[in-house]
Amino acid sequence: MAASRFGVFQTILMLLRRWRIQAYMDLIRMTRDFKLYLITVVSDTLLNLSGVAAVFLIVERFDGIGDWSPPQVIFMLGYASLVTGILDVLFSYNIMQISRRIGRGQFDHVMIQPQPVWMILLTEGFTPFSGGISLLTGLGLTGWAITQLSIDLTAVWWLWLCLNLFGSCAVVMGIAFFWGTFAFWSPVAAEEISSQATRIVFQLKSFPLDGLAPFLLNTLLTVLPVGFVAWYPSQALLGLRENPLWMTQLVGVVACMVALLAFRQGLKQYERTGSQRYVGWAHRS
Amino acid sequence: MSNTFQKYWKTVSIVASQPLQDRRLGLIAGLVLRLSRVVILLSIWRSLFEGRETVSGMTLEAVMTYTLIAEVFSSQMSIRTALSDTLWEGIIVNRLTRPIGLYGQFVAEMVGDWVPGLLLHALPLLLLSPVLGADAMPASPTSALAFLVSLVLGIAVGSAIDVLFTAIMMFLEQSIHSLTMIRDAVSVLLSGAVLPLALFPWGIGQTLTWLPFASLASAPLRIYTNTGDPVFLMSLQMAWAVVLWPLAHGFWTYNRERLVSHGG
Repeated sequence: MAASRFGVFQTILMLLRRWRIQAYMDLIRMTRDFKLYLITVVSDTLLNLSGVAAVFLIVERFDGIGDWSPPQVIFMLGYASLVTGILDVLFSYNIMQISRRIGRGQFDHVMIQPQPVWMILLTEGFTPFSGGISLLTGLGLTGWAITQLSIDLTAVWWLWLCLNLFGSCAVVMGIAFFWGTFAFWSPVAAEEISSQATRIVFQLKSFPLDGLAPFLLNTLLTVLPVGFVAWYPSQALLGLRENPLWMTQLVGVVACMVALLAFRQGLKQYERTGSQRYVGWAHRS
Repeated sequence: MSNTFQKYWKTVSIVASQPLQDRRLGLIAGLVLRLSRVVILLSIWRSLFEGRETVSGMTLEAVMTYTLIAEVFSSQMSIRTALSDTLWEGIIVNRLTRPIGLYGQFVAEMVGDWVPGLLLHALPLLLLSPVLGADAMPASPTSALAFLVSLVLGIAVGSAIDVLFTAIMMFLEQSIHSLTMIRDAVSVLLSGAVLPLALFPWGIGQTLTWLPFASLASAPLRIYTNTGDPVFLMSLQMAWAVVLWPLAHGFWTYNRERLVSHGG
């Protein structure tokens, strides 16, 4: 029991060490060239704002969308940006776009390292400085919306917010990894499949889905659970509907489980065939 | 003249008839994305126009048609050639040695690349328009004709912007990704491809109409739905094409030396 506890402690320590190393390298990358830093800041900020701007402008023009008041929609947009920001911070360098690594034969780099694959996938994409810009946009929007809304800001509500954000991120990662698995079988054709899947999710995440026909709505809550990236959890957190607050986490766990099962099958395939596309300079042929 | 045209036409046909095996999944994902986006946007418009006849001179029918056609011709309204990609991959030197104009070959490739998308994305969307509840027909035959001319002018302006942005990238010596992100983020919103400029709050849409980005999507779509003056809009497009092409060419030529010194 004590050994097991020690093992968990050691694992957490190793994770923290790896995150620290990645954070340091990210800081060096961002500070060695001011022009690069500036362009990254500007492009990330613009990209984030443009992702939510269309809905924001509609809200301003029409004074809300359906049952959603302007601050409620902005809360949802902020929540959606937070999800993007967290994922950018934790899963950069093509971890979220895992099909690129697999398709290009770069997964070998992951497999030859003397640490578990899950630990590499959890730590290698940590970019708090270059990826954190998206997070700031989300924090700003969400923070402003919260000050405009009469939410009972208890510790429990904040906890639910964090858990829902975790659930939404898990949904996106589940989708990215599930589709990314196809690259094990079809490295060229599926090289960009994770980015295609996340592009669909990120482009649709900012829209309130209230007016959709039941069939389409159910599709976006099950087959392609885009609704859980921002719309559903925002409704629950704002008390707009009687949505269970735990549902997003549940869907996130299910999405990750499905992705894990598929990914294991993909790894078995990779063990048999390897990659035909690997080249010396680690790019694609 | 006919020989030059034949070269470009051959490039278009080669790219258009490339096997799709490498791009099948991307095309399917693209169709899902575009279909989902248009369905969601149409449902939002329906709920927003409930109890309203017109908003900023646009009826619900006009906005629905605008949204549908914007999605059908989305590739033609957000111009991107392979110019920056070839720089990124270091294969621009191959293009410079070809016996065909540099801009022309990239535009011809882009046009050829549209063909699968037009067949597999645009056509299904048009055929599904009755199911989606949007009228895909233009306001009049004249509007349809003017739309085509305006679309071509928009492509000319978009291509100039593409060359200009790539030249800026060469000047700054930075990764294409950041600059592509900036360009895409700015142009999608300011072009009116997602949201009609007339529906922007605080009257900013009127100001944005004068920018070159509006020539890419807003102008042809307003002509198609008969919610804008075709003569004014096409004149503006022509003016931007005349201004931007020499600027893009000049900046590209100036930076070409940098490209040579870096070795591509």
